This record gives sequence, structure tokens and C-alpha cells, in this order.
Amino acid sequence: MSGHREFVLRTVEERGVKFIRLWFVDVLGLLKSFSIPVSELESALEEGVGLDGSSLEGASRLREHDVIAHPDPRTFQLLPWRPDSIVGRMFCDVRQPDGEPFGGDSRLVLRRVLEQAAALGYTMQVGCELEFFLFEALGSNGAVPATLDDGAYFDLTPQDVGSDFRRRTIEYVEQMGIPVKASHHEVAPSQHEIQLAHTDALSMADAVTTFRIAVKEAAHELGAYATFMPKPLEAHPGSGMHLHISLFEGERNAFHASDAEQPLSAAGRAFLAGVLAHVCELTAVTNQWINSYRRLGTGFEAPGTVSWTRRGAAALVRVPSRRPGRAGGTRFELRSPDPSCNPYLALALILAAGLRGIERGYELQVESLDDAAEGPRLPLDLREATDLFDASELARETLGDRLCDVFVANKRRELEDERRTVTEFDRSRYLRLL
Amino acid sequence: MSDAWIYGEQGGELTSRLLAELGFSPHRVAANGTLRPPEGDNRAPALAVVLASGLERPSCAELCARLAADDALGEVPVIVALGCGGLADGIGVAEGHELLVEPFSAEELQARIARARRTVNGIDHDDVVRVGSLEMNLATYQVAIDGRPVDFTYMEYELLKFLVTHPRRVFSREALLNRVWGYDYYGGARTVDVHVRRVRAKLGSEHASRIKTVRSVGYRWEGT
Repeated sequence: MSGHREFVLRTVEERGVKFIRLWFVDVLGLLKSFSIPVSELESALEEGVGLDGSSLEGASRLREHDVIAHPDPRTFQLLPWRPDSIVGRMFCDVRQPDGEPFGGDSRLVLRRVLEQAAALGYTMQVGCELEFFLFEALGSNGAVPATLDDGAYFDLTPQDVGSDFRRRTIEYVEQMGIPVKASHHEVAPSQHEIQLAHTDALSMADAVTTFRIAVKEAAHELGAYATFMPKPLEAHPGSGMHLHISLFEGERNAFHASDAEQPLSAAGRAFLAGVLAHVCELTAVTNQWINSYRRLGTGFEAPGTVSWTRRGAAALVRVPSRRPGRAGGTRFELRSPDPSCNPYLALALILAAGLRGIERGYELQVESLDDAAEGPRLPLDLREATDLFDASELARETLGDRLCDVFVANKRRELEDERRTVTEFDRSRYLRLL
Repeated sequence: MSDAWIYGEQGGELTSRLLAELGFSPHRVAANGTLRPPEGDNRAPALAVVLASGLERPSCAELCARLAADDALGEVPVIVALGCGGLADGIGVAEGHELLVEPFSAEELQARIARARRTVNGIDHDDVVRVGSLEMNLATYQVAIDGRPVDFTYMEYELLKFLVTHPRRVFSREALLNRVWGYDYYGGARTVDVHVRRVRAKLGSEHASRIKTVRSVGYRWEGT
């Protein structure tokens, strides 16, 4: 690892970097950052930096305890949106003071599952389509945000700030080593989509985390506000994060079926069967907010039942039709996650579910041939999703009891807060009637 | 800090000290026929020094041949150091990329290292590689195009450095993974494609095409 450290130290010196931001995420995937001056960098790389582990536990903190954040020099990047002062960033792995892994660190959880996959000879590749809204700068808390345009799917809207904004965002994320495949205006007004080119799962989780802050920075510079909230506008589609998933064995796509009649190879079908069998237990993580369920299963092509298809657009899983000579591109697209999830935990659970399907030889259910898909329904709300997650043996095995308990405590608290809230719905429905 | 691996016993301590003075991190390799030091990751070192005097099993010639044949170590510059008077018996004279005779100073060692590197990698001793308007400073890890710095991540930088310093040779994805990444990595061979794409994007139109995709084989750097 000495080469990585030397690289970071020399780059910092040569480029006149003043501060380094050390990044990690909490259990909900929210980005946490603290800065160290360059003078502390060498010791941070050698020994790590102490912090309070309860900062990884979201709003529902158990108790303070010391952990050590170890910056990962492989993730060193200069932040492109601070041209006035050169600032670097690194993601951290969080460990116990004795060097043992810290059970509350999402990044380590994903690493652990990736190791399990590697032991079976598999690596996971993930591509990602992220949708989000760009609004005028936010007014008072709770007000309906103002859209910036009336554009629609793939519209080119030269007069709006959206194109400038997408171009700036793409420049930022590409400078940070995240290749962008495409971008376009989405279905709803003010809604955008950017597709990130496939990469390994850990890099993708880091990329999603980086992407969310890059988008917000680019929006802020244009005097707008970007949000990954799953469903900000009732009358319009919500924002999803479609994941394109494949497994590789060395250079070979393990999902590619030599039989053209089959959607995926035997391993691919078993993997997908594993994901479908466990997806309801995992929905609390892929769709982790109360607001997430105002998107799922409410139309606008957001999935509501457990189904897969090669044709339709609204199923939970779509297997893209094969293209001749493109065996490496075989994959399936999971359409339920939303862009406000914790990408580390979501990918860890999806991979664990798929591997279980392979290891235990799950059978893939029949393909659904129309959009009104028959099949078990996804959880209707966060309470149902949390109950399923809480009872999931797969989730506990993959994430560990500690992380599961902290996650569930966060969700129960959110649900309790909501239960006590008198909403616009209550007033409009009941005030005059009762 | 670059690793330097030292084979053989006689003069090993002095050689270690001189290499450390030159900024290398020296590692002694047991003289029992292994090619790698007991500690550390499996990344190839920047340099190998074979102390020929007293080497028997394997002989200096056998050892150098095995280094050259090793998948991961074949491109490592090898310096053969002969004991005082070693030129007379001729053992080791024809081996490695450069030759040294004891007693030698740090300055001479440095000059021999630079010559060995140039033989293997085509890199000047000042550690700056220039390809048209592209400039890579291997000592400071900085890359510039037309004098403007271009920021790479560590792995992007290492990949570019490997390709630039091994021009005109085709490397498979697996070979690049082994030799550039070299440690446990969960990305698999597709990682190489992802990084090549990023490096090309950062190199810009003038240089991106120097990384040639060799269909169903791998990648090759064109131009020195």
C-alpha cells in the first residue's frame, strides 16, 4: 500500500492542496465529512483518525464509542467544485481501535460480501441510472418546490438551466473518475437522469455517494436545488435508481446464456431468482424512507409487484434483449431502488440475495408478459418493509445484528415521528368533514 | 517509496544501505531459491539487485533466467553486482540489464539503476517520460498535457505509467490486473476496461488514441 500513500502525499504537495476531506457514510448512506489540514495527512494515512462511532448510526444513536477512520488512498481525488482552494477527499474505512472491522461501517459490509463473491470466483459489475429533480432554490420547509421547466422525456430545453446544469454535473463527476454514459431530461418537469457507466460494486457505491454531492454542488452554483427525494411531486413520476447488475467470472460474463431462448445463463437465472425471492425483505434498504413508498407501486412505471420481464417497462426486473456480439453486456435491471438509499447496503444485500440463489439453486419464476404484473406485491409502506427486514435472516447474516438493529431503530423512529405528524392530508380531508 | 529486492548474501547489508540512501525500500530475498521476499504484497519491485558472489543454488544465471521468465517480474530491471575481482571469473557478467563491480558508491549505483531502467522501460534517468505534449513525472506522480496538470487517481496513474513504460507490447486484461493492481481486488478484469476508459477520457483527444484496444486480447500503448 506504500505506493498509494506516496502518491497521495506527493500529489498533495505538488498541487498545493490545503485540506483533505475524509468521507464516510452513516447507516442511512448520508455522507459525513471532516477536514484535516495537510500537516495531519501522513499520520491519518498511517494511523487513521479517531471519531465517535455513533456518528455512523443516523438519528438513532445508541451510545458514544471510539472508532478509527482509515482513509482509503485509492479513493483520493481533488474536488472539482472548489476552484478557489484545492481540496482533496478520500473515503474512509471505519475500524475498531484494535484494528478489527467496525460492524457499523456500510463500506466494510459491502467489502465483506464482495469477498464472499470473490471466494466463489465472481465479481459484481453495476451500472446505474439515477433520477433526481432540480428545483428553484427552496422556500420555506414543507412548501411545494417550484419547477424550473416544463420539459418532458428526452426534451432538449435550450432555454432552461437544466442543460448547463447537466453539463456541469457531468464535468464534475467525470473529473472525479466516474464515467457518465448518458444524460437526458426525464419524464417529469425539472426531472433529470444521469447514467453512470458500469464498474465494480464498491466503486459504484462510492460513485453514487460522490455523485449525489456533485449534483447538489453543481445545482447550488446555478442558484438551484437538487434533490434525490424519491417522490417530491404528487402528480409526476418519482425518482428511481435503476441498477444494471451482472456477475463476471474473470473476463466472462457469468449471466450470458449460450442458449438464445434463455434470458440468462443458469447461474444468472438462479441469481435473479435469489434477488426476487428476497427482494421484499430488502426493500426497507433499497427504499428506505416513508416517502419512498409514495413512488413504489403508484403508477408512472414504478414497480409494485415481484415480477420480471424481457418486454414490459413497469416490472420490477427487466432483462434487456440480447444484442449480437455483446455477450459481455448481459445483465438485468432492478427497478425498485431509489437514489436516496444507502448504496453500500443496497448492493451488499442484492449481491447476497443473488449468491444465495446460486448456492441454493433457486428456480426463477415465470416471466410476466404484461405490465399489469401478477406476483407477490412489494411492501406497501415503510412499516411493512421494516418488519420484513427486521425478521430477515438474510439481512442479519449479511449486515450483522448490530447494523440491522441500528437501521431498524432509525426506521421505527421515523415511523413514530410520522405517526405523530398532522399533515396536509389530514387537514384537507377531515377539517371540514368532521 | 519504490521497493528494491536484493538476492544473495555477500555485500547485502551495504547494498541495502545504499539503496535506502537512494530512496528505495530494500527487501532481502532468502538465497534458497524463492523469488519473492517473505513480507509485503506481491507487487513487482522497481528494481532487483543480484549479488553474484557466493551465489550457488540457484546460480546467478539461473536466478536471472527465472526472474526474466516470471510473469510478474519479467520487466523488473535487474542489476548484477560482482564481488571484488569478480570480472575475472566471468560469472554473472552476461546476466541482468546492468553490471556493477564492488566496491561501488551510491552515485555509481544510481547511474547503473538509471541505465538498467532505460534498457527495460525506455525511461530517462530523470524519471520524466514525454510523449508529444504528454509529460509524466514518475518521481512526483504528476501528469501534465501541454504543461497543464491532469489529475488521475492512483490506479489510473499506475495503469497509464505501466502502459507508457511498456510501449508497443500487448497486455491482456488479466496481465494488467496482475501487474498494475497486483493485490486482492474485487473488480475483476472488467476493472481494467473501466480504468482504460477513464484514462482515455482524461488524456483528451490528442493522446487517448495512443491506448489501442487489441480486439479480444487486451491493450497496447502506441508511441514513446
